[in-house]
Amino acid sequence: MVNENSVKDVVKEPYKYGFVTDIETEKIAKGLNEDVIRLISQKKDEPKYLLDFRLKAFKKWQKMKEPDWAGLGYEQIDYQDIIYYSAPKQKEKISSLDEVDPKLLETFDKLGIPLTEQKKLTNVAVDAVFDSVSIATTFREELAEHGVIFCSISEAVKNHSDLIEKYLGTVVPASDNYFAALNSAVFSDGSFVYIPKGVTCPMDLSSYFRINSGDSGQFERTLIIAEESSSVSYLEGCTAPMFDTNTLHAAVVELIALDDASIKYSTVQNWYAGDEEGIGGIFNFVTKRGKCLGKRSKISWSQVETGSAITWKYPSCLLLGEESVGEFYSVALTNNRQQADTGTKMIHIGPKTKSTIVSKGISAGNSINSYRGLVRMGTKAKGSRNYSQCDSMLIGDQASANTFPYIKSQQPNSEIEHEASTCRISEDQLFYLQSRGIEFEEAVSMMVSGFCRDVFNQLPMEFAAEADKLLALKLEGSVG
Amino acid sequence: MKIIEKIKTNKSIDNQTEIQKICLDKLQSSPLPNPKSEQWRLSNNSKFSDFLDYSVNEIDPKFDIPFPNSSQSTIRLVIGDNCQINLIEKNYSIKQISEHTLVKYIKEQISCFDQNENWSDLLNLALNCTKNTLGLKISGSEIPPIEIFSHASSNSLNAKTLVIFLEKNCDIDLLQVNLGKDNSSLSQSTFFCLEENSSVNHGVVSYGENKSNLLNSLNVIQQKNSEYNLGSLHFKFNYARFEIRIKQSEGNAKTNIKGMQKTKKDEQISTYTKIDFHGPNGFLDQINKSLADDKSHAIFEGSIIVPKIAQKTDASQLSRNLLLSNLAQIDTKPQLEIIADDVKCKHGATISQLNEEELFYMRTRGITLTEASKLQLSSYFQEIISFIPVSKDRWDLLDKLLNEN
Repeated sequence: MVNENSVKDVVKEPYKYGFVTDIETEKIAKGLNEDVIRLISQKKDEPKYLLDFRLKAFKKWQKMKEPDWAGLGYEQIDYQDIIYYSAPKQKEKISSLDEVDPKLLETFDKLGIPLTEQKKLTNVAVDAVFDSVSIATTFREELAEHGVIFCSISEAVKNHSDLIEKYLGTVVPASDNYFAALNSAVFSDGSFVYIPKGVTCPMDLSSYFRINSGDSGQFERTLIIAEESSSVSYLEGCTAPMFDTNTLHAAVVELIALDDASIKYSTVQNWYAGDEEGIGGIFNFVTKRGKCLGKRSKISWSQVETGSAITWKYPSCLLLGEESVGEFYSVALTNNRQQADTGTKMIHIGPKTKSTIVSKGISAGNSINSYRGLVRMGTKAKGSRNYSQCDSMLIGDQASANTFPYIKSQQPNSEIEHEASTCRISEDQLFYLQSRGIEFEEAVSMMVSGFCRDVFNQLPMEFAAEADKLLALKLEGSVG
Repeated sequence: MKIIEKIKTNKSIDNQTEIQKICLDKLQSSPLPNPKSEQWRLSNNSKFSDFLDYSVNEIDPKFDIPFPNSSQSTIRLVIGDNCQINLIEKNYSIKQISEHTLVKYIKEQISCFDQNENWSDLLNLALNCTKNTLGLKISGSEIPPIEIFSHASSNSLNAKTLVIFLEKNCDIDLLQVNLGKDNSSLSQSTFFCLEENSSVNHGVVSYGENKSNLLNSLNVIQQKNSEYNLGSLHFKFNYARFEIRIKQSEGNAKTNIKGMQKTKKDEQISTYTKIDFHGPNGFLDQINKSLADDKSHAIFEGSIIVPKIAQKTDASQLSRNLLLSNLAQIDTKPQLEIIADDVKCKHGATISQLNEEELFYMRTRGITLTEASKLQLSSYFQEIISFIPVSKDRWDLLDKLLNEN
């Protein structure tokens, strides 16, 4: 018989990244109005079209109502009580990493992010975002040799304005939803990636987002464009200090894949989740969407969601190009009072498009873990196919696992398959492992790892190791 | 608001029953269901207005049961047709529930209603007079099969209510037939209460004629060790909604559901199910099939709710759909809401067209495409039809489904 308390103890693990970096920051006053938006735009020295984009989005946002359909229980967010721009003070222009504040480098070092030269051997280019601004981007010269542009979005606005003007807001329009509109109005920084025609990006690209201030929201924006026959693997990680207040993170990610291009976007989300009573933690309200514009293009989302007090996130694919492919692989682990409402949308518009959804949810403590997904076959999606699989694992009798798949088909010559199941950690399997001399804690960890295997197999090497470690950490603890 | 005015102006206030007054009061605050709610968001507004458009009718014209009762052993009842029954036999009894008990029971039910979720029931009870309500208390064993008819008359909106109490250790076969007439709307609400160790094989067959509409709601409460088997079939309605709400009040109960809806032309037929497990060891096996042709729209939304108390629940739900035309559409949403950890719950959904390989195989054996499609469809239908109890052969359901125009 499994001792319920012992399983609960196993999933208890203090948050490792909850430290605050004591660094001088430049913040603007709390509150949101047109002047704040103008100020952000001015600080970033933005062209007029971008200011207009922000103001238009702000007007739309003012008319919108905060969505409540997901039934997430949280106190009303006071949008006037948030700092919309916060940046560590540093020299105006940085020519090399040596000029970055050592405290910042130390912060990222503590987080295990290879910013410093000696760590560059890992062969992953990193763009590190601290509160509202990008601190450093590594490997830029090497990437430039291949014509790959990898920089912060603020730099891209200055140096590649034509691309920004052409693509920004084309996948996630400013009026898409409440949080996307808010992001479009106040976004401070983020990453920009451009892979030219025929180029396979020589290394994995990575962004690391760190919230340091307790009273400022983080609104980053990522834009990735993969030209014809190009391919890129992009990784995203995030952490935040422990505060007893809730911090808002409303990001927008837009991916565009042209003919034969492929984008793999992987996330390990480990924002601070609040304490056991659900006090504090990040509200992670993110809009992520990819557009498979070209023929045979492919967008693959893989995510490991372990943090945040509330996650509201549906990475989606618009499959427009003929034979384009969309994939979504997700592991969501919730504990204590965490709420995760996550899933995907696969919109099949073009013919012979294919999509695969594999979602694994693990709920422990008093948490709520929901899969919410939409699969839609449009009238022109002839010969299209979708396969979805959503499995939930419950640990303890206070956690909740929900599955809400919305399936709509308007094309008879297409196939949709969906299956979902719910289970608990099998006593028989635990007993078997324990009888072979495997410790209880390790056995639980092995079983959870096995449960998530389908998703971990899809993660890039660097992340698969991190994700496995992260889950193991969350599952590590005293066995009662 | 129009519908409430219509009900109010239809009869003098004095004639309103207590139930009608309560329901009308509730409807005042939500005169129409919230179109943004999950239960109603896919409902076709113009078709729903068609449903409400007919004048409220309490008086039924003469009704001829479509098939003569060839078997003497079948008990046939028509709701609203001055239906009176009081059968006390050696092994069983079927008695009419007294008005007082009926009112008390319905009032209890209403107190748990959600304005939006139970809107169809509220409308039904607001529209309905005592005459069109049939309440039965059934006990004993070796009960002959029962057939109960509800029908609408042309150019009017009729409401019929059926309440059945099944006493302990009793088991019955019951076929409920809802018939829509040309240009008519029928609101049918059924309340079933299954006591301990009772079992029912319940068939619901609803079919209409040109431009007929239906709001069919079924509320079942299952006490422990009861078994509820439902086979349902809905077709030939301009607009039809079938709402199934089953509550296993103490767990340890079994529920099997096999339902199907078939849509053609520009029809919209939807099925909403909510299965609530309120105790441990509950069992559910559900399959819902949809078939959409021409420009029609078929919808299925099913939710399974397993709270903490419902440990060791074993529930499965499958939605299988066939889309036969470029202009038709199918929406399906099977959902699981689970808190108890020691449960086995699963659901699945598929949408496809007829299996091309099977069609090809049959054609290589000299069977025409039309015949081959029919063969495939009949096997698709047969699984549901075979689950519908009572004299199904006499109803020629397969023939009706295959040769429907």
